[in-house]
Amino acid sequence: MSDDNHLLIGRANGHLFRREDKTESYVVIPPAHIITDSDGAAWTFGFKYNGYGEINVLRNDVDTGEFAERIEYRRGQVRIFGKAGWRTFSRSRRHFI
Amino acid sequence: MAGGYSLSAGGITIANQAVTLTWVNPIASPNLDLSFRRFWINQSNNMTAVNLRWQLNTQVTAFPTVVNQAPNKLAIADSASLITGNTTGAAGTCGINASLENAGAKTIIYADSFNTTNGALLVLTPEEIIEMAAGAASGLGMHLPVAPGTLTGWVFGCVWTED
Repeated sequence: MSDDNHLLIGRANGHLFRREDKTESYVVIPPAHIITDSDGAAWTFGFKYNGYGEINVLRNDVDTGEFAERIEYRRGQVRIFGKAGWRTFSRSRRHFI
Repeated sequence: MAGGYSLSAGGITIANQAVTLTWVNPIASPNLDLSFRRFWINQSNNMTAVNLRWQLNTQVTAFPTVVNQAPNKLAIADSASLITGNTTGAAGTCGINASLENAGAKTIIYADSFNTTNGALLVLTPEEIIEMAAGAASGLGMHLPVAPGTLTGWVFGCVWTED
Protein backbone atom coordinates (compact mmCIF):
# COMPACT_ATOMS: atom_id res chain seq x y z
CA MET A 1 0.00 0.00 0.00
CA SER A 2 1.52 3.31 -1.04
CA ASP A 3 0.38 6.63 -2.43
CA ASP A 4 3.90 7.80 -3.20
CA ASN A 5 6.89 5.98 -4.61
CA HIS A 6 8.94 6.91 -1.61
CA LEU A 7 6.40 6.56 1.15
CA LEU A 8 5.66 3.32 2.98
CA ILE A 9 2.16 3.12 4.38
CA GLY A 10 0.94 0.44 6.73
CA ARG A 11 -1.89 -0.03 9.18
CA ALA A 12 -1.63 -0.83 12.85
CA ASN A 13 -4.13 -0.51 15.70
CA GLY A 14 -6.61 0.88 13.18
CA HIS A 15 -4.38 3.78 12.18
CA LEU A 16 -2.28 4.44 9.08
CA PHE A 17 1.45 4.61 9.70
CA ARG A 18 3.59 6.50 7.19
CA ARG A 19 7.31 5.91 7.00
CA GLU A 20 9.99 7.19 4.67
CA ASP A 21 12.21 4.15 5.27
CA LYS A 22 11.75 0.55 6.22
CA THR A 23 12.70 -0.45 9.73
CA GLU A 24 16.39 -0.97 10.44
CA SER A 25 17.75 -4.47 10.92
CA TYR A 26 17.61 -6.07 14.36
CA VAL A 27 14.65 -4.05 15.54
CA VAL A 28 12.58 -6.38 17.71
CA ILE A 29 8.99 -6.24 18.92
CA PRO A 30 8.88 -5.85 21.90
CA PRO A 31 10.34 -3.38 22.95
CA ALA A 32 9.59 -1.77 19.59
CA HIS A 33 5.91 -1.38 18.79
CA ILE A 34 5.97 -1.60 15.01
CA ILE A 35 8.10 -2.92 12.17
CA THR A 36 7.72 -1.50 8.67
CA ASP A 37 8.95 -3.84 5.95
CA SER A 38 9.98 -2.94 2.40
CA ASP A 39 6.36 -3.35 1.23
CA GLY A 40 5.31 -0.74 3.75
CA ALA A 41 3.44 -3.38 5.73
CA ALA A 42 3.16 -2.70 9.44
CA TRP A 43 3.88 -5.63 11.75
CA THR A 44 2.53 -5.61 15.27
CA PHE A 45 1.21 -7.89 17.97
CA GLY A 46 -2.52 -8.33 18.48
CA PHE A 47 -4.41 -8.98 21.71
CA LYS A 48 -4.78 -12.77 21.54
CA TYR A 49 -2.60 -15.10 23.59
CA ASN A 50 -2.09 -18.81 23.34
CA GLY A 51 -1.13 -21.11 26.16
CA TYR A 52 2.61 -20.62 25.59
CA GLY A 53 2.86 -16.93 26.35
CA GLU A 54 2.81 -16.09 22.66
CA ILE A 55 0.80 -13.30 21.04
CA ASN A 56 -0.87 -13.29 17.64
CA VAL A 57 1.10 -11.64 14.85
CA LEU A 58 -0.60 -8.97 12.76
CA ARG A 59 0.39 -7.63 9.34
CA ASN A 60 -1.42 -4.40 8.50
CA ASP A 61 -3.91 -5.22 11.27
CA VAL A 62 -4.71 -8.57 9.67
CA ASP A 63 -4.09 -11.65 11.78
CA THR A 64 -1.48 -13.86 10.13
CA GLY A 65 -2.67 -16.89 12.08
CA GLU A 66 0.72 -17.13 13.76
CA PHE A 67 1.67 -16.72 17.40
CA ALA A 68 5.08 -15.59 18.56
CA GLU A 69 7.06 -14.15 21.46
CA ARG A 70 8.85 -11.60 19.32
CA ILE A 71 8.97 -10.19 15.81
CA GLU A 72 12.30 -9.17 14.34
CA TYR A 73 13.38 -7.42 11.15
CA ARG A 74 16.73 -8.63 9.85
CA ARG A 75 18.32 -8.25 6.43
CA GLY A 76 15.03 -7.24 4.86
CA GLN A 77 13.09 -10.17 6.26
CA VAL A 78 10.47 -10.37 8.96
CA ARG A 79 11.19 -13.19 11.39
CA ILE A 80 9.14 -14.41 14.32
CA PHE A 81 10.30 -16.40 17.31
CA GLY A 82 8.15 -18.74 19.34
CA LYS A 83 7.96 -22.30 20.58
CA ALA A 84 8.54 -23.48 16.99
CA GLY A 85 11.83 -21.55 16.89
CA TRP A 86 12.68 -18.88 14.35
CA ARG A 87 10.53 -18.64 11.24
CA THR A 88 10.81 -16.24 8.31
CA PHE A 89 8.05 -14.58 6.32
CA SER A 90 8.13 -16.02 2.83
CA ARG A 91 8.98 -14.05 -0.27
CA SER A 92 5.49 -14.86 -1.52
CA ARG A 93 4.11 -12.83 1.41
CA ARG A 94 1.87 -15.75 2.37
CA HIS A 95 3.56 -17.97 4.93
CA PHE A 96 6.07 -18.22 7.71
CA ILE A 97 8.64 -20.87 6.93
CA MET B 1 -16.56 -6.31 34.83
CA ALA B 2 -14.00 -9.08 35.00
CA GLY B 3 -12.78 -8.59 31.48
CA GLY B 4 -10.05 -6.94 29.46
CA TYR B 5 -10.27 -3.28 28.48
CA SER B 6 -8.26 -0.86 26.41
CA LEU B 7 -7.86 2.89 26.44
CA SER B 8 -6.39 3.74 23.07
CA ALA B 9 -6.20 6.68 20.70
CA GLY B 10 -4.56 7.63 17.42
CA GLY B 11 -3.93 10.71 15.33
CA ILE B 12 -3.61 12.75 18.49
CA THR B 13 -1.99 16.18 18.59
CA ILE B 14 -0.43 16.84 21.95
CA ALA B 15 0.55 20.11 23.59
CA ASN B 16 4.15 21.30 23.46
CA GLN B 17 4.86 20.28 27.04
CA ALA B 18 5.18 17.20 29.21
CA VAL B 19 1.96 15.26 28.66
CA THR B 20 0.17 12.37 30.31
CA LEU B 21 -1.09 10.34 27.34
CA THR B 22 -3.32 7.84 29.12
CA TRP B 23 -4.70 8.18 32.60
CA VAL B 24 -6.65 5.53 34.52
CA ASN B 25 -7.75 5.98 38.12
CA PRO B 26 -9.09 2.95 40.07
CA ILE B 27 -12.61 3.00 41.38
CA ALA B 28 -13.50 3.39 45.06
CA SER B 29 -13.22 0.34 47.27
CA PRO B 30 -14.69 -2.24 47.62
CA ASN B 31 -14.58 -3.19 43.97
CA LEU B 32 -12.41 -4.92 41.39
CA ASP B 33 -8.73 -4.11 41.07
CA LEU B 34 -7.12 -3.07 37.79
CA SER B 35 -4.24 -5.20 36.44
CA PHE B 36 -2.32 -3.40 33.71
CA ARG B 37 -0.97 -5.76 31.06
CA ARG B 38 0.26 -3.66 28.18
CA PHE B 39 1.27 -0.16 27.13
CA TRP B 40 2.26 1.17 23.73
CA ILE B 41 3.21 4.45 22.18
CA ASN B 42 4.08 5.35 18.61
CA GLN B 43 4.00 8.13 16.09
CA SER B 44 2.16 7.53 12.83
CA ASN B 45 3.42 10.46 10.76
CA ASN B 46 6.47 10.30 8.58
CA MET B 47 9.12 12.05 10.65
CA THR B 48 12.79 12.13 11.47
CA ALA B 49 13.71 9.44 13.96
CA VAL B 50 14.53 10.74 17.42
CA ASN B 51 14.78 9.09 20.78
CA LEU B 52 12.14 10.13 23.25
CA ARG B 53 11.70 9.38 26.93
CA TRP B 54 8.48 7.89 28.26
CA GLN B 55 7.43 6.67 31.65
CA LEU B 56 4.68 5.12 33.69
CA ASN B 57 3.88 6.91 36.87
CA THR B 58 1.33 7.08 39.59
CA GLN B 59 -0.10 10.43 40.59
CA VAL B 60 -2.01 11.46 43.67
CA THR B 61 -4.52 14.29 43.75
CA ALA B 62 -4.61 16.80 42.13
CA PHE B 63 -5.00 14.54 39.13
CA PRO B 64 -4.30 15.56 35.52
CA THR B 65 -6.99 17.27 33.45
CA VAL B 66 -7.55 14.98 30.49
CA VAL B 67 -9.71 14.55 27.40
CA ASN B 68 -12.74 12.39 28.14
CA GLN B 69 -12.44 8.97 26.56
CA ALA B 70 -14.18 5.81 27.69
CA PRO B 71 -12.41 2.44 27.70
CA ASN B 72 -13.33 -0.24 25.17
CA LYS B 73 -13.79 -3.87 26.05
CA LEU B 74 -11.56 -6.34 24.25
CA ALA B 75 -14.15 -9.12 24.18
CA ILE B 76 -17.65 -8.27 23.05
CA ALA B 77 -19.11 -10.75 25.53
CA ASP B 78 -17.69 -8.87 28.49
CA SER B 79 -19.53 -6.30 30.52
CA ALA B 80 -18.58 -2.66 30.25
CA SER B 81 -15.61 -1.47 32.26
CA LEU B 82 -15.98 -0.18 35.80
CA ILE B 83 -14.01 2.82 34.62
CA THR B 84 -15.76 5.62 32.77
CA GLY B 85 -14.43 8.45 30.66
CA ASN B 86 -14.13 11.84 32.31
CA THR B 87 -12.02 14.97 32.17
CA THR B 88 -11.26 15.27 35.87
CA GLY B 89 -9.04 12.23 36.34
CA ALA B 90 -11.00 11.38 39.49
CA ALA B 91 -11.33 7.90 40.97
CA GLY B 92 -13.16 5.50 38.67
CA THR B 93 -12.43 7.52 35.53
CA CYS B 94 -10.00 7.59 32.66
CA GLY B 95 -8.96 9.89 29.85
CA ILE B 96 -6.23 10.74 27.37
CA ASN B 97 -3.95 13.58 26.28
CA ALA B 98 -3.80 15.70 29.41
CA SER B 99 -4.02 19.44 28.93
CA LEU B 100 -2.93 20.13 32.51
CA GLU B 101 -0.75 17.87 34.61
CA ASN B 102 -1.87 19.59 37.84
CA ALA B 103 -0.08 19.53 41.15
CA GLY B 104 -0.33 15.93 42.33
CA ALA B 105 3.03 14.31 42.96
CA LYS B 106 4.13 11.74 40.38
CA THR B 107 5.99 8.57 41.30
CA ILE B 108 7.84 6.98 38.42
CA ILE B 109 7.45 3.21 38.36
CA TYR B 110 8.86 2.56 34.89
CA ALA B 111 11.02 4.79 32.72
CA ASP B 112 12.37 4.09 29.27
CA SER B 113 13.07 5.73 25.96
CA PHE B 114 12.16 4.77 22.42
CA ASN B 115 12.85 5.60 18.82
CA THR B 116 9.86 7.42 17.38
CA THR B 117 9.85 5.45 14.13
CA ASN B 118 9.79 2.13 15.98
CA GLY B 119 7.59 3.11 18.90
CA ALA B 120 7.49 1.28 22.20
CA LEU B 121 5.54 -1.75 23.34
CA LEU B 122 5.60 -2.90 26.94
CA VAL B 123 4.00 -6.29 27.54
CA LEU B 124 4.24 -7.05 31.21
CA THR B 125 5.02 -10.59 32.28
CA PRO B 126 2.76 -12.07 34.96
CA GLU B 127 5.28 -11.18 37.67
CA GLU B 128 5.46 -7.59 36.45
CA ILE B 129 1.78 -6.81 36.05
CA ILE B 130 1.00 -3.42 37.54
CA GLU B 131 -1.82 -3.70 40.05
CA MET B 132 -3.89 -0.67 40.90
CA ALA B 133 -6.19 -1.64 43.73
CA ALA B 134 -9.71 -0.32 44.10
CA GLY B 135 -9.67 2.57 46.51
CA ALA B 136 -6.06 3.48 45.77
CA ALA B 137 -5.20 7.13 46.35
CA SER B 138 -3.44 7.42 43.02
CA GLY B 139 -4.08 6.74 39.35
CA LEU B 140 -1.71 5.44 36.71
CA GLY B 141 -0.52 7.52 33.80
CA MET B 142 1.59 6.91 30.72
CA HIS B 143 3.63 10.05 30.45
CA LEU B 144 5.96 11.90 28.11
CA PRO B 145 8.19 13.88 30.47
CA VAL B 146 9.61 15.92 27.60
CA ALA B 147 7.63 17.36 24.70
CA PRO B 148 8.44 15.62 21.42
CA GLY B 149 9.68 17.55 18.41
CA THR B 150 6.65 16.51 16.37
CA LEU B 151 3.37 17.03 18.18
CA THR B 152 0.96 15.44 15.70
CA GLY B 153 0.01 11.87 14.83
CA TRP B 154 0.52 10.20 18.21
CA VAL B 155 -0.84 6.72 18.76
CA PHE B 156 -0.87 5.20 22.22
CA GLY B 157 -2.85 3.07 24.59
CA CYS B 158 -2.95 0.64 27.46
CA VAL B 159 -4.75 -2.57 28.34
CA TRP B 160 -5.92 -3.74 31.73
CA THR B 161 -8.08 -6.42 33.22
CA GLU B 162 -10.55 -6.02 36.07
CA ASP B 163 -10.48 -8.88 38.50
